[in-house]
Amino acid sequence: MQIFEYNGSAVVAMVGKNCFAIASDRRLGVQLQTIATDFQRISKIHDHLFIGLSGLATDVQTLYQRLVFRHKLYQLREERDMKPETFASLVSAILYEKRFGPYLCQPVIAGLGDDNKPFICTMDSIGAKELAKDFVVSGTASESLYGACEAMFKPDMEAEELFETISQALLSSVDRDCLSGWGGHVYVVTPDEIKEKILKGRMD
Amino acid sequence: MKLDTSGFETTMPVIGFGSNSEMLDGVSSVPSFDLPRTTDFDGFQKKSVEMVKPAKGTTTLAFIFKEGVMVAADSRASMGGYISSQSVKKIIEINPYMLGTMAGGAADCQFWHRNLGIKCRLHELANKRRISVSGASKLLANMLYSYRGMGLSVGTMIAGWDETGPGLYYVDNEGGRLKGDRFSVGSGSPYAYGVLDSGYKFDMSIEEASELARRSIYHATFRDGASGGVASVYHVGPQGWTKLSGDDVGELHYHYYPVAPATAEHVMEEAA
Repeated sequence: MQIFEYNGSAVVAMVGKNCFAIASDRRLGVQLQTIATDFQRISKIHDHLFIGLSGLATDVQTLYQRLVFRHKLYQLREERDMKPETFASLVSAILYEKRFGPYLCQPVIAGLGDDNKPFICTMDSIGAKELAKDFVVSGTASESLYGACEAMFKPDMEAEELFETISQALLSSVDRDCLSGWGGHVYVVTPDEIKEKILKGRMD
Repeated sequence: MKLDTSGFETTMPVIGFGSNSEMLDGVSSVPSFDLPRTTDFDGFQKKSVEMVKPAKGTTTLAFIFKEGVMVAADSRASMGGYISSQSVKKIIEINPYMLGTMAGGAADCQFWHRNLGIKCRLHELANKRRISVSGASKLLANMLYSYRGMGLSVGTMIAGWDETGPGLYYVDNEGGRLKGDRFSVGSGSPYAYGVLDSGYKFDMSIEEASELARRSIYHATFRDGASGGVASVYHVGPQGWTKLSGDDVGELHYHYYPVAPATAEHVMEEAA
């Protein structure tokens, strides 16, 4: 099997009205065998910025650690949090540094920028940014996710409805993928609070 | 180009000449398939074997116990990472007292099991008695052996009840045929064996055995990415087979491991 399909993953982010949601599956596998059902793919950089990483699990963890380090340095120097657009450029630069021996992951970045305007973007494994206004997807279930999101997405959804939509899109897509699923992890972020929910999904 | 099957014909049909006689049942000789006209037949063979290779993504199991044979399987069909169906019938009803399980290429299994059913019926008509499980599995094994190396992908168990009691045989595309009490076939079989072997006793009632079979399939679907969907359980007894249950494994998980509702830390009360 391909190296991007070694561990299996599914990550999706959606934009709502002054809020965003980011969701991932919870499976960690070694090809067809499931090793864990509580793997963390989405991590918080700061209260209004999340990054979800799909792809090879070891690179997911290492890359996350490097990005947290860089952000903490930034916070010390600038005495403020990074803007999502700036963070996306940082991730892109770090990935391109390894152009000829890349990190085998595809990040999904979601954050609230100035005036609480939601920002989402995804990248390939060597840092090509893809900005979107509605949703971004990545992982082994990405084709199913594109279809599900396209069908279910509406612009300017409130937090509750956005949570329902992203959960349904994630669960129905991973049910068509052998390598991802076994539950779901959703974060819905508004200017005032972060809501984290675990989804009950098919465990097969 | 027709495959030369003269080496596999059984000795001496008395009537007629070669394999064209209509007095003989059309299926006692190896069915001949047309082969493609290519310049590189070996390369073509290699590619077609590769095409079926990611197969056998499944979990099937069968075991003999005091009350007969228990047969169970999942229902997922996968093409690489994509789930093409969650509702495939992997337990094939060869005749009212024999079942076959499907692992490997779906087309191969369906065709050869139906072919086996035809042969079993012809045996009954010719000999005025039912064919034994041993005989049926031998027919299938010999057929598959003659296509050895051509890229068929079949990992099947033939389970039935005949005059000697319950019978269970494992037959695969390499031409192997094994008699046994407990088998599991497919990518999820290691997980199913773990549960099956630790819970197995010969003296089980039908309910206990079907629960063991269901649990084994459930555990295999949990761990194996290529197994899932519905866990079907069949029982073969002296009167023939009956389907006992077909449970969705997504629901079985929460049945075996219910999610404890989170206790609320602060409870809002109505203002008096």
